[in-house]
Amino acid sequence: MNTALAIELSGLCKSFRVRRARAVTRLSSVKDFISPISEHVIAVDHVSFAIQPGERVAFIGPNGAGKSTTLKVLSGILHPDAGTAQVLGLTPWRERQKLGFHIGTVFGQRSQLWYHLPARDTFELLGHVYELSPARLRERLKALTEAFELGPLLDKPVSQLSLGERMRAEVAASLLHRPRILFLDEPTIGLDVSAKATIRTLLERQSEQDGATLLLTSHDTGDMERVCQRVIVIHTGRVVWDGSIAELRRGYLGKKRVRLLSERPALSFALPGVRLVAEAAYRCELEVSVEVTPVGRVIAAALEQGALHDLTIEDPPLDEIIQAFYRKTSYRTVDPVPVPTPIRVAQ
Amino acid sequence: MSTYRKYWAFARVAASEAANQRAELYGRALFFAVILGVFAALWRAVAEAGMPLRAEQEKLVWYLAATEWILLSTPQRHMQIQDEVRRGDVAYQLPRPVSYPRAALAQCLGALLVRAPLLGVVAFVSAFAFTGRMPALQSLLWLVPFGMLASAILAELYVALGLLSFWLTDATPLYWVTGKLLFILGGLMLPLELYPRWLQRVALCTPFPSLLAGPGGFLINGAEQAAPLLALRLLFWACFSFGLVELLFWRATRSLQVSGG
Repeated sequence: MNTALAIELSGLCKSFRVRRARAVTRLSSVKDFISPISEHVIAVDHVSFAIQPGERVAFIGPNGAGKSTTLKVLSGILHPDAGTAQVLGLTPWRERQKLGFHIGTVFGQRSQLWYHLPARDTFELLGHVYELSPARLRERLKALTEAFELGPLLDKPVSQLSLGERMRAEVAASLLHRPRILFLDEPTIGLDVSAKATIRTLLERQSEQDGATLLLTSHDTGDMERVCQRVIVIHTGRVVWDGSIAELRRGYLGKKRVRLLSERPALSFALPGVRLVAEAAYRCELEVSVEVTPVGRVIAAALEQGALHDLTIEDPPLDEIIQAFYRKTSYRTVDPVPVPTPIRVAQ
Repeated sequence: MSTYRKYWAFARVAASEAANQRAELYGRALFFAVILGVFAALWRAVAEAGMPLRAEQEKLVWYLAATEWILLSTPQRHMQIQDEVRRGDVAYQLPRPVSYPRAALAQCLGALLVRAPLLGVVAFVSAFAFTGRMPALQSLLWLVPFGMLASAILAELYVALGLLSFWLTDATPLYWVTGKLLFILGGLMLPLELYPRWLQRVALCTPFPSLLAGPGGFLINGAEQAAPLLALRLLFWACFSFGLVELLFWRATRSLQVSGG
């Protein structure tokens, strides 16, 4: 194990025993009560990855993929069945309390702030929990109040804050003890566009300032794109992608979105691998499989039909890429991968 | 030292929150006064009907004021723990460098420090208003520390009840059973001396008489003689409840590790 890494997992496995109901018959409920049947469900299956200090990593996957279980193992709540894990050189489930001083957590659907009290009271409580000296607490609170613009909010009861304001306070509370690793689970869920943007900017800025490692799970691709440099995709308990977001975009689908503003009211394309996504008078949007037909050929075909006023070429939205990724990987899995080398899924 | 400071901080925040929830506090106080009024009238009617009361009716009202004071001052944290276990919030509190059950107890003590004085005043004023008499001042002074300790132990038992949610989908039925046992075996409304002997023996095997009838009995039979034995009993039940909570939490975290969050 490399102690210089922030997080290192190798061959991590975790399964749960769940109770299974018998087929419905008259006596099935009685039998279930007297002699319940249970089965093992594999939640995490040989997961391996390594994260460098200061890296910002999105950890994504469909519901039930094993994200939360992995996070719980990393924060010391769950024991794995097999494999090893080191967080800041500590084994989380053996040294949970010690690790607690160095990690922070933000959970979008949960609150660590005392609902009926001003946020300042929770900050002061957390100062004691993390054993910060009064001077250090004052200094940290001042810095976070400025960075997160909490000044007018600190002395208002949390129950009177908007969701966006509360989340700013939640994130600030998690950063109070200057954690070296921050685990974030859906930190922007339910927020409006501007509140999301604020949280993402603050996370990115604070991570850069403090050098904190971020491990973020989210179903919002905006969180990944704005905050993270790297993405790890987990599906049915296994890592199916580990690399940069740009590589995920470029390498996975091999598709581009081409928007054309033409002189002619309508253009027609009879090229393989080209699909019309949207059309209106003098404009159209195409999805081009670049492995089948290069974008240049599409543009040439358009120019043959008349002049073009404007042209844009973009990657497909990340949402679509990830959806396609989940669809594709639900039919197959990849072999366990070695750590710490970043991996790509063989196409 | 910093360990004690962090639990003291939990107690302080819980005290602030309890003080902020004025409606709940005043509701408890009103309920308390009404209960005392109803029972004062009931026992007066019983006495007037010629039915024998081994203790004087005024003493019974003061007894009820003491037992209800302990009961109503006790923060019942089991529902909050149950919610935290069900929603999975408890799992996210575990990584903090603080013991979850001790933080829960500290919060109970903080809330108790706010509730007990206010309800104590309500108990005193109401019982005096309904009876026109006052018990010996010494007994009242003994009641305060013993009542507070009893309330703290009771709060810890509710924490234990809440921790059972790790295994039970819903701990509410257990809460109701415990509540009824507390009312009956604890001697909430009547001193244990009025119970049949066999029931007294059964009751004394449980913590409940030490928590309610014991301190309440100070206002009927005086405190000096009963206090040392009750102090020992309360000490025993304090160790028992603290040990029980620690054991349950240890088992619960192991079960969480085996069965998942």
